[in-house]
Amino acid sequence: MTVAGDVRAFLAAARKELQIIRRYPLNYVGGLFWGALLPAVYVLMGQAYSGGSDPRAMRAFAERAGTTEFAGFVFIGYAMYMWLSSVLWGPGTSLRREQIQGSLEATMLTPVSRLILLFGPGMSAIPSMLFTFVVTFVTLWIMFGFVPPLGSLFPVVIIVLVAVPAMYAIGTLFAAGVLRYGEIGPVVQIVRGTFVLACGITFPVAMLPAWAQTGAAVLPPTYIVSDIRAAILQSVALPGLVGDLAVTIGLTALIAALAILLFGYLERSARRSGMLGRY
Amino acid sequence: MEELRAAIAIGKKDLMVLSRYRIAVISQIFTPLYQGVIPAFLFGAAFAVGGRAVGLDATVGTENLAGFIFLGGVISGLVATSFWAMAMGLRNEMDAGTLEPVWLTPTRHETLVIGRALGGIVWFLISQVVLFAIGIVVFGLRFDATIVLALPALVVAIVGMVGVAYLLAAIVLLIRDANFFIDCTNFLFGVASGVAFPVTLLPGAFQVVALLLPTTYAMDLLRQYAIGARPTYEPRLEYAGLILTTLVLYPLGRRFFARAERIMRVRGSLSQF
Amino acid sequence: MSGVTAHSNVAIEARALVKEFEKGRHTLWQRVRREPDRRTTFRAVDGIDLAVETGEIFGLLGPNGAGKTTTMRMISTLLEPTAGTIRVLGTDVAKEPRRVRAQLGAMLSGERSLYWKLTGRENLEYFAALYHVPPKDTKDRVERSLAAVTLSDRADDYVERYSTGMRQRLALARALLPDPPLILLDEPTVGLDPQASRDLRDRVRDLRAQGRTVLLTTHYMEEADQLCDRVAIIDHGKIVALDSPNALKRTIRAEEIVRLDIGIAGDGDGAAIVDRLSRAGTVARSERHNGTLSLTVHCASARELVPAAFDAAHAAGATVQHVEVVPVTLEDVFLSLTGRGLRE
Repeated sequence: MTVAGDVRAFLAAARKELQIIRRYPLNYVGGLFWGALLPAVYVLMGQAYSGGSDPRAMRAFAERAGTTEFAGFVFIGYAMYMWLSSVLWGPGTSLRREQIQGSLEATMLTPVSRLILLFGPGMSAIPSMLFTFVVTFVTLWIMFGFVPPLGSLFPVVIIVLVAVPAMYAIGTLFAAGVLRYGEIGPVVQIVRGTFVLACGITFPVAMLPAWAQTGAAVLPPTYIVSDIRAAILQSVALPGLVGDLAVTIGLTALIAALAILLFGYLERSARRSGMLGRY
Repeated sequence: MEELRAAIAIGKKDLMVLSRYRIAVISQIFTPLYQGVIPAFLFGAAFAVGGRAVGLDATVGTENLAGFIFLGGVISGLVATSFWAMAMGLRNEMDAGTLEPVWLTPTRHETLVIGRALGGIVWFLISQVVLFAIGIVVFGLRFDATIVLALPALVVAIVGMVGVAYLLAAIVLLIRDANFFIDCTNFLFGVASGVAFPVTLLPGAFQVVALLLPTTYAMDLLRQYAIGARPTYEPRLEYAGLILTTLVLYPLGRRFFARAERIMRVRGSLSQF
Repeated sequence: MSGVTAHSNVAIEARALVKEFEKGRHTLWQRVRREPDRRTTFRAVDGIDLAVETGEIFGLLGPNGAGKTTTMRMISTLLEPTAGTIRVLGTDVAKEPRRVRAQLGAMLSGERSLYWKLTGRENLEYFAALYHVPPKDTKDRVERSLAAVTLSDRADDYVERYSTGMRQRLALARALLPDPPLILLDEPTVGLDPQASRDLRDRVRDLRAQGRTVLLTTHYMEEADQLCDRVAIIDHGKIVALDSPNALKRTIRAEEIVRLDIGIAGDGDGAAIVDRLSRAGTVARSERHNGTLSLTVHCASARELVPAAFDAAHAAGATVQHVEVVPVTLEDVFLSLTGRGLRE
């Protein structure tokens, strides 16, 4: 099997995923609904907690979050939440579906690289991520009149470019893990819940106890969400974010390696126990 | 008497089945905690000055942030019980194939919702006790003794939410994307009841909707009596609103349910999904 | 058994029963856009008259989609007829559905209808409450139902650990809980292996021995033949024949059935062979497939027909590849009435 053959197989796997998600338009209605309303509710909670922008409360928030613009803070956090949801649900569900249908075993029998199987499904998360970003910023603009400064566009694009492989790696690691456990729903809830709590998605990381902040420091979404907020809400330029981006890239490589190792282990144990065919 | 026994058997069966999915049990108790309560608490605490929720005090007249959030969790849990356990549970049974043999027994079909309500409420109470215990230990949750004055409101709201469950069951037994429908409406219903923030912060049209929901009044009464929050309306008026909406919703729900049942008998949709 | 003898000798009476379903959808979006309503109606049951007598096993036999299950669902109150009336044990199904359900044991959708995360006993205890079995009788009734389907020793296992046959039997045990004088069984042995099927049929015979009436649907002719006192053959929503299996088989004026496969060379259509055999018996079915002519012929004596078939084949330059002589079955009755097989 040549590299060109593997690339073709990868593109075929990606195309198949995109075809499948096109058949579930309700996912997009869901993306619109949750992408707009969940953060909007959080912003209104922020209004309640801030006493309608009581200066003392706002100052306290700015000390912890680095900004008083809590609508922008929340919406960026939620875009991350939706992105996480799609990288956890998408590849995991896809791989699990193949496992249930038996097509996973069938694909295993073909000569393509096992990594295509592992990384192909992650493609399904990319269109929904772009969709979520659009929904987030349009809602933020229409409901709360917040428009990100034009100067933040370049740093945000760079951050997202670094973030895509990171998120991709998380989804892949998760998908490989799901194969082992079978049921995906409750596991997504727990894993996503952990990310929400640890990565400062709906509240500043500074609110976490010290031990939890240490945990947050090894999760790429912590850096991604904090850098996007810094770029948009505090107009921090790219040089100020380089350190974070380097850490993100390093963590991405680590997570991808873990996913490959785990998948290899699962494949070996499957050959021994015939587990991949069962569910 | 026979119907009551049947209802109790349904509730018991639901709890028995639930108890056999351990991950689901844990997830149902802890999901509201780590997806709702903790993020909300930490977000709220980010606005606190020297440990005092001055912003919340300005908005609702109390600094009891944990109380405000955990009480929101109570009504939110009640709404979820009605939407998921009572209504969607019936649809899940239909999809699994177990609704048909139940439909074939002489037990009244309305009793199925009541039975699910009994099981759902027991589970709701158990999970609230666990959540409160965690709240007291971890978040310093405290209530005023006058919380008992709000208990009748909670009881009436439960009856109202059974009415809502009938209405929802009528819908989910007939539509295709029931899960999506329940997911969205459950969320909107909770928000419109004021579980996350006072309904006065809602956009105008939603405030009108809020007035039609028994849970809005129950939420306000609960926060008022338990943590001394500033009420939206006069308590007697709120009790009147609660009773009135319940009196309308319950029979309305039963009526819709009976109508849905008839449609299913004509279409034969009970076993077609 | 209580309630078994209290009724007149007609357990189920259906008159001019019709059920129409709508096919297709007229969505809200289509309504808003004022698009024409393209729904059509499909008549699943088309004027059925039926009288099931007390104490008999009555079978509705027909291919899938013939209207058997729809008829069964109307009798069991799950489905409202478009027209016609049904009386079950003297009670009008449309007027008093709950009273009907109280006297009815039904097993309609088999193993899927059980709670797999409960034990067999827990399933039955639950349904006993729903069937309004008095609490003091519940334990005894559950035990008896379990014993009746020989599941007592596995009663405390989760249903998810049962075999398909055991689940079917548990579903039957559930139908026995109200101690019903009338039992409805929809395709009771579908998906079961031969041993489990035989076992379940024995249980159904036990029900008759206890004086109960059984109405069952099936598309297995052997099942209808072996089990039923009377059979109604249904096709396209209509009853095309109704009698005891033996009487139905006698309607075919033949003692034996001969099935032949004849290899025909070249372009020959075998018309001459069919023509020749039509003189020796009745050709109920003739099909040409990949150069093989398959024939089913009803005849008085196979001893005379088979040599005639060889002669005819020889004369047409064809070869007889396979000959099978079988007794008349309900399948042949169906074939002679509809021109199709039960499994087509």
